[in-house]
Amino acid sequence: MTTRPLLLLVLLCLPAMGGVTPQPKIKTDKAVEASNSSILRVNSTDQSYDFFRPWTKKAPFSRRGLGTLIEGGRILVTAELVANNTFIELEKAATAEKSSATVERVDYEGNLAVLRPTDPAFIAGMKPMELDRGVKVGDRATVLQLEPNGEIAQTQGTVTSIAVGSYPLDNMGLLLFRLSAPMQQRDGSFTLPAVRDGKLLGLLMRYDARSQTADLISAPVIAHFLREAAKATYGGFARAGLAFSTTRDPQLRRYIGLNEPGGVYVTDVLTGGAADKAGLHKGDVILAVDGKAIDQDGNYEDAEFGRIAFSHITNTVSHPGDTLGFRIFRDGKTLEIPVKMEARDRSKILSESYVVDRAPRYIVLGGVVFMELSRPYLQEWGANWLKEAPQRLVFYDAFQNELPQDRGKIVFISQILPSPDTIGYEGLDNLVVSKVNGREIRSLDDLAEAAKYPVNGFQKIELEEDPGVLFLDAAAIEANRDKLIKKYSLPALQRL
Amino acid sequence: MGVVKAAFVLTLTRMFRFLMILAVVTGIAQASPVAKSLVRIEATSQEPDYKAPWNPGEVSGGVGAGFIISGNRIMTNAHVVSNARFLTVSKEGDPKPRPARVLFIAHDCDLALLAVDEPGFFNGTTALEFGAIPAIESVVSVYGYPIGGNRLSVTKGIVSRIDFQTYTHSGMDSHLTIQIDAAINPGNSGGPVMQNGKVVGVAFQGYSGDVAQNVGYMIPTPVIKRFLKDVEDGHYDRYVDLALSYHTLFNPAARRALGLKDDDLGVLVGSVYGGGSSDGIVNPGDVLTAIDGLPIASDATIPMDDDSVPLAEVVERKFKGDQVTLDVVRNGKPQRLKIPLSDPWPFNLHSNVYDEDPRFVVFGGLIFQPVDQNFMTAHQPDDLRLRYMFDFFIEDKIYKERPEIIVLSGILADPVNAYANDFRYAIVDEINGAKIKRLADVAEQFAKPADYYVIKMAGVGRPIVLERKAVEEARKRILSRYAVTKEQNL
Repeated sequence: MTTRPLLLLVLLCLPAMGGVTPQPKIKTDKAVEASNSSILRVNSTDQSYDFFRPWTKKAPFSRRGLGTLIEGGRILVTAELVANNTFIELEKAATAEKSSATVERVDYEGNLAVLRPTDPAFIAGMKPMELDRGVKVGDRATVLQLEPNGEIAQTQGTVTSIAVGSYPLDNMGLLLFRLSAPMQQRDGSFTLPAVRDGKLLGLLMRYDARSQTADLISAPVIAHFLREAAKATYGGFARAGLAFSTTRDPQLRRYIGLNEPGGVYVTDVLTGGAADKAGLHKGDVILAVDGKAIDQDGNYEDAEFGRIAFSHITNTVSHPGDTLGFRIFRDGKTLEIPVKMEARDRSKILSESYVVDRAPRYIVLGGVVFMELSRPYLQEWGANWLKEAPQRLVFYDAFQNELPQDRGKIVFISQILPSPDTIGYEGLDNLVVSKVNGREIRSLDDLAEAAKYPVNGFQKIELEEDPGVLFLDAAAIEANRDKLIKKYSLPALQRL
Repeated sequence: MGVVKAAFVLTLTRMFRFLMILAVVTGIAQASPVAKSLVRIEATSQEPDYKAPWNPGEVSGGVGAGFIISGNRIMTNAHVVSNARFLTVSKEGDPKPRPARVLFIAHDCDLALLAVDEPGFFNGTTALEFGAIPAIESVVSVYGYPIGGNRLSVTKGIVSRIDFQTYTHSGMDSHLTIQIDAAINPGNSGGPVMQNGKVVGVAFQGYSGDVAQNVGYMIPTPVIKRFLKDVEDGHYDRYVDLALSYHTLFNPAARRALGLKDDDLGVLVGSVYGGGSSDGIVNPGDVLTAIDGLPIASDATIPMDDDSVPLAEVVERKFKGDQVTLDVVRNGKPQRLKIPLSDPWPFNLHSNVYDEDPRFVVFGGLIFQPVDQNFMTAHQPDDLRLRYMFDFFIEDKIYKERPEIIVLSGILADPVNAYANDFRYAIVDEINGAKIKRLADVAEQFAKPADYYVIKMAGVGRPIVLERKAVEEARKRILSRYAVTKEQNL
């Protein structure tokens, strides 16, 4: 991995979510029985697209987890549980009664989703669960699982740390509760609620059996998501769009003339992101955010959770549209810079880190398959994709933020379906396209348009690398169209 | 990869034992016709240490074969005598090893010539002569000292295939190679492959048994003769190269679009590498139709010696300063181009390097090294940016901005560099505002007096800042604690 530990990508958001009232501490176990009336089994049939054959889906598989009924007759689960779902089924633990549900709102950065039962009567008599907002390190919590007979299995654990950590799909830095609990493997453990006194404090999203530690999506992240979900326009999680390193090194501090005790050194500013728009630069030192002093490691003293990374303020406490004051040290002076927080505009991402709930786009031109680069494509090479996937594409993905803003998508030839039109091109794959018929290609839409204008009867495809150029006979590929579709059982020659 | 070089299996201690046994068994039957030409080569070599580059490196030993040719010279493989500190040769039937020295070594074609200074060594020996390329299916004999015993070994096989292969010694160069089905094992390296009393090749590499069986490779005489001619002027110049890539042209639409006839001739130029022979003369998109008058088929072969061989063979037989003529079709019009052939820089970056000490600078406990194949092999860095710059050094013309890629390769931990750990394998971009293009630039910037040395790395990240006072104070401490005997080798 190229990500050095000093480069924490910070993602900003805004205002504090309501008053956080610490709950009076009561004993743990007792209220668990009550949660029985808030818990449902959720069976999701998921089917993802095959990025090697973008016109097909892979075989479906099912994931099971536990949903928690929350106010408004909705069911809260992790986004991972329902990613690429084709069918979602709710099941009452005790009676095995079943009903279907649909996703009302999903956020893959925060890894959360709310489901809506198709039949509102299905949840009649059940009791929605509230969020527990007063968790501290050292508190006890109970993770709920279901036995096959519908009984609730409880595992007691201790909250061992509260820190900002990476959430699975987009590596977004959000608040995590880490729980030490000796859990057992049970069927349907994909999403599990962690409760205390009958209130939800987090959703378990990963568990390491060796160390017996579980990472929970924390209550503040859930609260942020629900608050956004209640809005007419869902805003998601904001981010500042910057990377920083610590200023622990006294030689660095003396060199930049930083006499204050804290502050982090901005190492990168995402072009077009919130910090960039507000005028933050590489080399700035962030001394405070929203009035909270930032220490040398990028932490601040949170009233609730103690010393945690300031990205909690930017990504979770604040919401898109909020403005946060950044106190900056630049060239020996201290400045106040207001930063208007915003969620990342995913349509501007060159190579997307995840593509779920939608099909990958492609165009087949005479047997030449074109796609737009995304990380799921590279991840088809397996766990070791960083080394095994085509290296030029890996580098494009890794260094996409360093490419010009108007670079657009990376359109590439993913493979050749051998046909009479592609004789001599067999085996060419993973080649980045620069132009087609003399027109710049910055998306598959550009390519679809350019392909309408063959030059002298040829589709001329220019590549960024060897062999440099390919030609196809425009009339011949049009004539062979149906044969190609039939031979390779293609549902369509393009999907945009 | 499965290709292994066929020398060095014996450790130094085993080699000594080997010598003692040899003394007991000498003087037994010498039936072989090449007995008067064959020598056993024992090499003591020292592999440079790219992780602690000031260290002299580990000493190891190995055994290979060689044979006597005209002019009292011994021919063997370059990999038998690479990085050698001490060499001895023993004639068949002569119990005494004699010191030898390297006359010429060609790492790009894995050949070397040795001299023996002891008077009279060549008395009674026979210089072998070279033959032509043996026919497919004809029988050849391989002589050498492979594992499985101590004395001369002979194996027989037939010529299986004649083709271009990568020479694993440099890892970068491909030349004409003959595949035979006789076993070639460690210790066979450098030994002659004979047919009708003449040398038709030098055994040099094979596959390990778990990859392929009965596949051995020898260097054929066109490559050997080129080497001998190249060194006639007392200096080995390396192979020359067109420094361009070309692609087959089978697609009928592509042929018509490029204005070519349906005659199965011509290949398409993909890239022309900067600084190479063809730079500025050939263009990407040109179609090569003939080389020195020989028509180029669309599969990139030419007719030569009654055979169809890769078109590169024409350039393979040329020398630095020679010319090659290319007929090209450019924008639909035929043209004739003359290419003066020169060194294939910057390809050397991806070649294994021998007989050179690693280059480095140590400053404030930080180790700076230029990246080359040896460095990558020793360090195996995962850093993506470093891997990118190395892999695409030629293709993406990285060399234009950085003739050498300089990395912070290691940190000798000390209070002065306590916060530099995150920067291992980062690429040095600037020191005190000066662009770093070569290792010498690093030394130059650190030699200039300054209060702070500010090192900026490529990509994102904070600068590393070293205070001069702190560096000076730490210098002796670091050198003695880590036994650093040398602070730089430029």
